[in-house]
Amino acid sequence: MNEAILSVRDLEVEFTLRGRTLHAIRGINLDVYEGESLAIVGESGSGKSVFCKTFMGLLDSNGTITHGQILYKGTDLAAFRTEKEWLSVRGREIAMVMQDPMTSLNPLKTVGAQICEALTLHQGMQGDAAKQKAIEILGDVGITEAARRFGQYPHEFSGGMRQRVVIAIAVACNPRILICDEPTTALDVTIQAQILTLLRALKEKYKLTTLYITHDLGVVANVADRIAVMYAGDIVELGTCEEVFYEPKHPYTWALLSSLPQLGVKGESLYSIPGTPPNLFSEVRGDAFAPRNPYALKIDFVERPPYFEVSPTHKARTWLLDPRAPKVEPPENIRNLRAVGEERT
Amino acid sequence: MLVYSAKRLVRSLLTLIVIITVVFSLLRLMPVEGYFSNFEKMSEAQIQNGLRQMGLLDPLPVQLLGFFRQLVRGDLGVSNIYRMNVPITQIVAEKAPVSMLMGGMALCLSLVLGLPLGAAMARGKGRWLDKCGTAFVVLVQAVPSAVYYLIIQLYGTQLPGLPLPMLFRAENPLSWILPTFSLAIGNIAYYAMWLRRFMVDEMNKDYVTLARAKGVSSKRIIRSHIFRNAFVPLVQYLPTSFLITLMGSIYVESLYSVPGMGGLLVDVIQRQDNTVVQALVLIYASISIVGLLIGDLLMAVVDPRISLNKKEGAR
Repeated sequence: MNEAILSVRDLEVEFTLRGRTLHAIRGINLDVYEGESLAIVGESGSGKSVFCKTFMGLLDSNGTITHGQILYKGTDLAAFRTEKEWLSVRGREIAMVMQDPMTSLNPLKTVGAQICEALTLHQGMQGDAAKQKAIEILGDVGITEAARRFGQYPHEFSGGMRQRVVIAIAVACNPRILICDEPTTALDVTIQAQILTLLRALKEKYKLTTLYITHDLGVVANVADRIAVMYAGDIVELGTCEEVFYEPKHPYTWALLSSLPQLGVKGESLYSIPGTPPNLFSEVRGDAFAPRNPYALKIDFVERPPYFEVSPTHKARTWLLDPRAPKVEPPENIRNLRAVGEERT
Repeated sequence: MLVYSAKRLVRSLLTLIVIITVVFSLLRLMPVEGYFSNFEKMSEAQIQNGLRQMGLLDPLPVQLLGFFRQLVRGDLGVSNIYRMNVPITQIVAEKAPVSMLMGGMALCLSLVLGLPLGAAMARGKGRWLDKCGTAFVVLVQAVPSAVYYLIIQLYGTQLPGLPLPMLFRAENPLSWILPTFSLAIGNIAYYAMWLRRFMVDEMNKDYVTLARAKGVSSKRIIRSHIFRNAFVPLVQYLPTSFLITLMGSIYVESLYSVPGMGGLLVDVIQRQDNTVVQALVLIYASISIVGLLIGDLLMAVVDPRISLNKKEGAR
């Protein structure tokens, strides 16, 4: 295994909303290894976007890191206070691809100018050199006639093409880590696969460490080496792609996988997790998933489970893995997932 | 671009023609005494004779056509009461420079104060400068301008150590200050309000987050990303606002007795000089139309999304 490029230690993030405090991130520990591709999955509001925004100091102004460290190459990003400190990281070390390509480009600047801005900031290129490089990158992200497209405005590009431009901007920053925040959610299904292929190719070419934030398990299966499952501001299960898909241990992961349309039986309604996520304004007691968990034990309502190690690369935060817990088998369709997966490939 | 401009120009001309017709027709409904300076002393025959000489007894379409012909020659007619038989173009040429000079200074003042105020308010949204600025904007917008014009005049002339004159004298620079400031204050609030609003709108957009994420400093983001985008919707209304300000304010000019266009309009309306009223209304209307025209063309220049070459561009 490579070295950890980013280490998150006991990270807690709170938001103040109308005088109330929302605990968006509740003590996360995570190592991101150099060169890997890590997917963070979870439902809306699980805190996955907020978590990644902390790496770049992009939290909304009412959000603060209240506890913990984010170590990047030995520097604690959580301790950054001034914009100047953040400017040494943003783009240069960590870049981002955002969800909606239709709105994430400045409509009044040419695509080329927006790429060159990044080149000038982070690679010190000016004028023609920057232009040549920008055209080269545009070609890299699969835009044909890059030289002509360089001088065009975002509205002259389709959604998928704009997402390629956004990716080009990220690449132009020459970062070590690339965060892709739901990079395909706003795109057509046919384009999604192209964009994912492109991201994988760029990861190899530019030796990037990539972090995917997504709720689409299909995307995850396509791109991720490792998966972190988030629920209510915490990582409940972490493992390699294989482990999380084929040997999931946390009941929330089971529920999440069960709601895959591919696992549904024709004629029956799709599985959905009963209940709603916990209210993060109040203190969560025990396991946050317990109220929605059919396998919940008594202790789940009282004490927060620690991580139980399943293998050196696989750990889950559920009392079911405690040696004293009753033996619980995952639902049948989950056990069949490997068969389903192999049938498909 | 040329096609679009031409089409837009033709449409403006059409609007102008409609306005001229309406203004002309409306003024034909005015009492005829507005065409004579000594109406009370004239006999019925003299009046009819005079009207016939001015062509006012011809059928309306003929009169209108004649009026258009006159306009094309750049002739606005002559004044009948305000200054007997003096061409209106000459009267305007005497009055306009004062208004335009004062309006121009007021404009500079409002741009220099209004835009930075708006930008500063947007940057420090929710903080004290924003709150004070908003209070100022609301006050200026909500209180009738007559009230604060009077307050400015009353208290502005009472400033200790700075004897600002109550009335305007072109040769006294100090006497320009209060009317210019009065003219500017509305625009300051207006520009600040809209710039703040549009900038705040832009700040929440995704492309700003992306710019931050790629490591652009917030100063640069404001300058090179937000400001320009926020300026686009403003650009459409600025030319009209500019031109209207340049033409002077009726109220401010009469308060300080500035011999400008606004004062002239009040004068001629009070004295029912029909031809001059007609000419002035036309001038103001054309200015609004020209302002909107320039605004639309400028929009097309600053915003690449407005396509000018396709057919739908000129709709």
